[in-house]
Amino acid sequence: MSKSKLIYIFLLCSLAGTSFAQDCFYSIRGQIIDSHHEEGVTYANIYVAETKTGAVSSEDGHFILKDLCLGEYHLHISHIGCETEVLLIKLSSDTTITVTLNHTGEMLHEVQIEGEQEKRSTENVVELGRREITAKADQNLGNMLSSVLGVTTIKTGNNVSKPVIHGLYGNRISILNHGIVQAGQQWGVDHAPEIDPLSAKKITVVKGVGSVAYQGSSLGSLILIESGSIPNEPHIHGFGSYFFDTNGRGHGAHGQVEQYGKFAAWRVGVTGRYSGDQSAPDYYLRNTGNREYSAFAQVEKTFGDSWKSELYTSSYNTEIGILRGSHIGNLTDLEDALERDEPFYTQDEFSYDISAPYQQVNHHLAKLSLQKTFGSESYIIATYAGQWDYRKEFDVRRGGRSDTPALSLDQNSQFFELKWRTKIGASQVETGYQYTTIDNVNDPETGILPLIPDYISDKYGGYITFTNQREKIKTEIGGRVDYENQRVAAISNTVPREVVRFKNEMLGFNAQAGITYQPVHDYKVSFNLGAAVRNPEVNERYSQGLHQGVGAIEEGDPNLSEERSLKATLSVGGESKEKVFWEVLAYAQWIDDYIYLAPQDEFRLTIRGAFPVYKYEQTQALIYGADASVIYEFSDRLNIQGTYSFTRGQNLDTDEGLPWIPPGRVKGELSHLIPEAIGLKNIELNLEYGYVFEETHVDPELDIAPPPPGYGLLGASISAQKSWGKTRWTFYTRGENLLNTTYRDYLNRLRYFADDLGINVVLGFKVAF
Amino acid sequence: MRSFNLLKTLALGGAVLFLASCDDDDPETPVIPNEEEVITTLTLTLSSDGNDDVVLKFQDLDGDGGDAPIITPSTASLNVNTTYTGVIKVENELEDPAENITEEVEEEGDEHQFFFMDSNDILSYSYSDQDENGNPIGIESEIMTGTDGSTTLTITLRHEPDKYAEGVADGDITNAGGETDIEVSFDIDVEE
Repeated sequence: MSKSKLIYIFLLCSLAGTSFAQDCFYSIRGQIIDSHHEEGVTYANIYVAETKTGAVSSEDGHFILKDLCLGEYHLHISHIGCETEVLLIKLSSDTTITVTLNHTGEMLHEVQIEGEQEKRSTENVVELGRREITAKADQNLGNMLSSVLGVTTIKTGNNVSKPVIHGLYGNRISILNHGIVQAGQQWGVDHAPEIDPLSAKKITVVKGVGSVAYQGSSLGSLILIESGSIPNEPHIHGFGSYFFDTNGRGHGAHGQVEQYGKFAAWRVGVTGRYSGDQSAPDYYLRNTGNREYSAFAQVEKTFGDSWKSELYTSSYNTEIGILRGSHIGNLTDLEDALERDEPFYTQDEFSYDISAPYQQVNHHLAKLSLQKTFGSESYIIATYAGQWDYRKEFDVRRGGRSDTPALSLDQNSQFFELKWRTKIGASQVETGYQYTTIDNVNDPETGILPLIPDYISDKYGGYITFTNQREKIKTEIGGRVDYENQRVAAISNTVPREVVRFKNEMLGFNAQAGITYQPVHDYKVSFNLGAAVRNPEVNERYSQGLHQGVGAIEEGDPNLSEERSLKATLSVGGESKEKVFWEVLAYAQWIDDYIYLAPQDEFRLTIRGAFPVYKYEQTQALIYGADASVIYEFSDRLNIQGTYSFTRGQNLDTDEGLPWIPPGRVKGELSHLIPEAIGLKNIELNLEYGYVFEETHVDPELDIAPPPPGYGLLGASISAQKSWGKTRWTFYTRGENLLNTTYRDYLNRLRYFADDLGINVVLGFKVAF
Repeated sequence: MRSFNLLKTLALGGAVLFLASCDDDDPETPVIPNEEEVITTLTLTLSSDGNDDVVLKFQDLDGDGGDAPIITPSTASLNVNTTYTGVIKVENELEDPAENITEEVEEEGDEHQFFFMDSNDILSYSYSDQDENGNPIGIESEIMTGTDGSTTLTITLRHEPDKYAEGVADGDITNAGGETDIEVSFDIDVEE
């Protein structure tokens, strides 16, 4: 073993390899080990792209590749339930490698803790890897995330989908795009996050009390969209994918190419989507098409041993049609719409056209960071990010004005951050300072009074966290302070119109603590506690005007005070005899002076008729619930999974249920994996049935229409892989609402007007090289 | 490597924040949008031979704002068994001089229709005008009174109704669809 070398490789499916050594007589020997049980993995496929030869691992996980020349080889390693990954081996002598495969983690990713000293690790983390992202490539971010237990969506039709986690959404949860808090108009219920999920290598949902490391997070959960760093691989690699939805006849394509070049590492990606009218079981939903054109570019460069820089830019551009029949003028129109079986303007013909009402959104991000490391334990990183968000919403308007937006908001935000992490004694310490400035401007082209005013806000904040890892116990504690200075210039809705200015200075606090205890390998308990002060958002203070689609006037209150909130989460998970894996996450959040839209007794008479009025008010609220999942593995090829989640929201002052809380849901899933058949590999068959209960905890009188009854949906999917030369192909098909069930969802705001989507079959493939 | 200690980091962070915080501008004075699409006022003038004109007016100058609209007269009086010629005028009085929106409705006649209803069904209506397709608009109409009684007249202007749906051309709003641009009500006494 004189020429031994040691390589650590972390890939998506958590392969980690170590290798040892000594003209075409060389060999690569290896063993594939399951990280969880530390046993050999049988039937893993190892394929050498250059020689088109391969091997299958034996019962104890061993394999051997013989008769190789000196040089570079790409090893394609695949196993059931795991996307094929590629290792580059520079063969200079006989080599032995050990590959660790995180196979059971795939089965129950909820209990997986990964990565380098993760600061969020005492919280409940769910990850969607590239395999899951690719399998749902046709979906937008919100819909993709709804496959995660405890995550639901609040929608305005299928194309406008906002994630709801533990009953909170919009500004109460944080979405981080490549480490940067997503700016833009997140306050709007009908404003979907402006991110292309296909740009991500990994999407992480942190269900818990949030993180003090980010500005704006106030005990809401986190969604992290990450493309990951570019692997050290000198050849150009990449993948392309295409998908087709039968419902909406949507086409989409995505491609990515990357290289760890001599000068710098780079990665670029593009996405395009084009779809038309979607359909409910009985009719087309007119004007529900969608267009999206997105691109991103990432460049990483290291200087010497300790300096590293990164540039990341992305551009997201979309046009989203809103159901024509949902555009109403007043409450009478809404009542008419409620009584109809199918919406007004329903057509017999399918169409790709998008006309008013529709949304046009452009969001651009540029991020630059510079990192200096000190040894292996500490680093300092400086980050700048700019975001430019342009949102235009077009309504059906009189006098040829439908081409003029009814809402036109331009927002620019700039972000600076300095972060330092080190180890002091046994503790990992991280501290950071952040400054964000937001300039939000209404374009007066609309000819309509703005819904939210122009404002400039400067926010300064700092945080510190301590993480301590001992043998069985991991603890973390942290706190942050924010100061915000906000200047607002609103236009009055009294006559004569005049500009009214407001100045707000606000302090925000956030403190958190968490502990994870793993007494034995098979069980884990985590408890997290957070307290936070959240200041009112601009829309909660100053919004004014008619909210299209719900036929109501919404008014902010400039005198709102801050919310004070306390949240606790308890997560317990374990496994028994490598057959049963289970996890329960319970949470409760108490919010004093919780800001919500409260229906008023008055009706406001206008020339368009009488409108109900909603005002932002404050109350005491309690939101609590639980997510539970259990998996039973008949074998490593067949498993059955069951999940259940519920959320309750209670207004403690009135003892009524809070509106827009997701109803409970239960799901069963059967998965069958076939390593090889009919020339295909890794064939995965999946069948699932999910049932969403009727929301019975809200007063139906407070809604325009009572919550719809519960519904069940059947889904299925098949995927398989095949290699041709140097290319690796994945084919899949997925069916949603296979029984073409007619239903309406409580959290879809178009439920007042139309049924939800009927059957959809997705066909797609991905080719990697 | 202990050269970077906490104090230095704090100092550096503070300096960055201080530099960044120099910018403390107020937003520029927003341009008040030209609200040319707003309708503030609807006037229905009812005339018949030998009687004074009856003018019903609904005026709401602040749009969706909190001030209540002004409706005149509080109760209008009409004669029994009389045919009135009705003419509607729609204006935006936020503009100076007031913008006549009736012209816009007339130009886009095929996309607009007024509907008349009264709570006690003691009035009857017929359209006196047509759009380019021969369907009614309702800017000009005839309103007929019958026996005496009190009622509330509701006038609705729909944008993009389906004028070919059943009953719509005859003034039945049930199947019309579209968005309501105007929906105003007047109290009326029909007297001997």
